[in-house]
Amino acid sequence: MTVRFEDLRVGDALPTLTRVVTREDVRAYADVSGDRNPLHQDDAVARMAGFTGIIAHGMFTMGHLGACVAEWAGDPANVVRLSAQFRAPVFMGEEILAGGRVRSLDAQGRAAVAELWVTVQRDGATEFAIRKGEAEVRFPTHGG
Amino acid sequence: MRRVNQEAEGKTYEPVAFEISEERVHAFLDLFGGPPGVPPTFLTAAEFTVFPFVIGDPELALDFRKVVHGSQEYVFRRPPRLGETLMVHPRIASIRQRGGNGFMVVEMRMDDGDGHVVAIARSTMIERDMPR
Repeated sequence: MTVRFEDLRVGDALPTLTRVVTREDVRAYADVSGDRNPLHQDDAVARMAGFTGIIAHGMFTMGHLGACVAEWAGDPANVVRLSAQFRAPVFMGEEILAGGRVRSLDAQGRAAVAELWVTVQRDGATEFAIRKGEAEVRFPTHGG
Repeated sequence: MRRVNQEAEGKTYEPVAFEISEERVHAFLDLFGGPPGVPPTFLTAAEFTVFPFVIGDPELALDFRKVVHGSQEYVFRRPPRLGETLMVHPRIASIRQRGGNGFMVVEMRMDDGDGHVVAIARSTMIERDMPR
């Protein structure tokens, strides 16, 4: 359903989006993005870097967050800004959850600023793969 | 210890053309889902046409084994369009040292065929003092 600017309130949660990250996904992302860093393709390289195996690209996780924001925005063309800080690594087989909350509304620009995050559950704790993310989205109004 | 060279701040690189191909956008949407159109982080593909050359620039003296992607930002002046070709203008926006780590911001301005700015991508790369 299309979200209209008038329907938004500060504190509203964005619909969350989850996915399990697989080796196939990460390989497909290397192809589509052109980021062929072996840290995301070769377990031996990842172990030398101190990880237990390959990790997802930060931009893979941000791509998932971008899909969450674009769904909320209704159209990716409504997204005027998107930013993210990368924190915890994401390993293969883990489930990531993208979410956010409306922080401020600008009635004149019909724009909302949302704070964003991507979390992963690990060893019984919530880790932030992305934190302090932010999006600015322009929404249509009921008036059109 | 080797450190990123702060004197490279402000350095620019040759612009590179990047086509927003329909096929590649569809591959991106197949992977992540989301409504039709150019996804908000699709221009990562444009950045990666030049990123390896920037990161590998010997003048920067980056120790690539210690580099992690710290943060990323996209600002859109207008929505990128399917099928259009953007000119990607890379620049080292800033280089700072903080707490033993080096922080380098690579900024890529992406212009359309009329020379109007469509998007600006900023990647903060962190050269860690110690491997994790």
